[in-house]
Amino acid sequence: MQSAIKIDHLYFRYDKEYVLEDISATITDNEYIAIIGPNGGGKSTFVKLLLGLLTPTKGKIEIYNTTPDKSRELIGYLPQNIHFNLDIPLQAREVILQGRLSAKKRGFSDKDFQILESLAQNLHIAHLLDKKIGELSGGERQRVLLARALATKPKILILDEPTAAVDFKTQKEIYQLLQELNLTKIVVSHDINILLQGVDRVFYINRKLYIHEYIDIDIKPKEGHFCEMELFEQLGGEHACNH
Amino acid sequence: MLAIIDLFGNSLIAAALLSVAIGIIGSIMLINRYNYLAASIAHGSYGGVGLALYFSLPLLLSTTLFALALALLLAFLTFKEPKRLDILISVIWAVGMSLGIIFSDLTPGYHSDLLAYLFGDILLVPSSDLYYMIVVDIIVLLFTLRYFHYIIAIAYDKEFAIARNLPVKMIHTLILVLIALTIVMSIRSFGLILVIALFSIPPFIAEKLTKSVQAMMVVSGVIAFLLIVAGLWIAYFFDISATAAIILLASFIFLLFFKGSK
Repeated sequence: MQSAIKIDHLYFRYDKEYVLEDISATITDNEYIAIIGPNGGGKSTFVKLLLGLLTPTKGKIEIYNTTPDKSRELIGYLPQNIHFNLDIPLQAREVILQGRLSAKKRGFSDKDFQILESLAQNLHIAHLLDKKIGELSGGERQRVLLARALATKPKILILDEPTAAVDFKTQKEIYQLLQELNLTKIVVSHDINILLQGVDRVFYINRKLYIHEYIDIDIKPKEGHFCEMELFEQLGGEHACNH
Repeated sequence: MLAIIDLFGNSLIAAALLSVAIGIIGSIMLINRYNYLAASIAHGSYGGVGLALYFSLPLLLSTTLFALALALLLAFLTFKEPKRLDILISVIWAVGMSLGIIFSDLTPGYHSDLLAYLFGDILLVPSSDLYYMIVVDIIVLLFTLRYFHYIIAIAYDKEFAIARNLPVKMIHTLILVLIALTIVMSIRSFGLILVIALFSIPPFIAEKLTKSVQAMMVVSGVIAFLLIVAGLWIAYFFDISATAAIILLASFIFLLFFKGSK
């Protein structure tokens, strides 16, 4: 199978201390990767490196044999919720269409509107298209943003905390939807119990990368909540917990 | 009635031309949260006024060049020093004003018109400024028509825009350049100190009333025009400063909307 992403001895630091250390991995076409790990462990930095928004301190990343900044058009991206300006009077349809913009394309064609309509049908958000983005619920907004990421017609889909501040039912629906998509998927999330359904591999990132070939086991939360390290121990990632 | 309209003369034309810029650039400023950047350019531009006095340069030319230099410097610093941008904005703001004060101090004679540059007077806008306003309005319109979807995408979610390879730096720089030009075109009407209020309040009200940025721009321009005209009437009947009357009226309506939007 063709490799979509190759990561070779990747290091990254913001100041003196390394946030990511000696990370190597290969992600193949159509693979579904879940990224978990503690806050501050380097998950979002890893995603930003994949997108070419940050440059590695050492090592390299190749996406379809080219550098991340040159392969951005191949990636559909759903950033974390915190970045959006929700006061803008902007309709959901305009947000989705933003996925059709590129460095060489600053307007929309008939094809773009067809893609919009098709995504709206498939993601069951046709009734939201004329609503202001700031007035949508968390779950509705995430569906719209997923539609924007898919509107780019990506080969790789990267989602950073797609179900943060979303109710349990919507979380399930979003992950169900992801399972149905036939493309390379990389999802960062804390919603481990749902996220792990259907993933091919789990990447646990806490400065270093621990990869686990996912096996379908029943993971029970301890006292009502998940500890990611405990989870990883259950999955067989004992090195992560010793670190 | 005709006598009053005649008295207002250039003011009404200036109000209409300024409203176009306020509607478009004010809205872009607000959705990008650039009001503090714009205030820095506005206040810092006083350096251009001081230089014009000291070297006997045409005011519009000197202030335009100075404001453009500040805009380009701020655009550069936004990407070079994003974590310390707030302090850099404040320093540029203060340095520009200080330069203006020093150069006007060094210029021999008494300069009664300095207050007009700080606080403005829309009743005294010369015809030459109207041509400048027309040119700036045309540039603003052309820029907005050409890059509208980029502007909105970047304002809504800059990280996504960068990930899509959109020209974020170029759009950011051009927006600051246009803010500089529109501020300079408003100096004689509203002054460097009060101009930001008029570029902020109508777009804020329009943002609450509209469902699209296009509508926000149009409604904001209309509100700005109505506020200016109403302020002029209030100033005429109570014999008070037109600029202050306009800004106070705008601020009063702003408070009503701000309270209502909470």
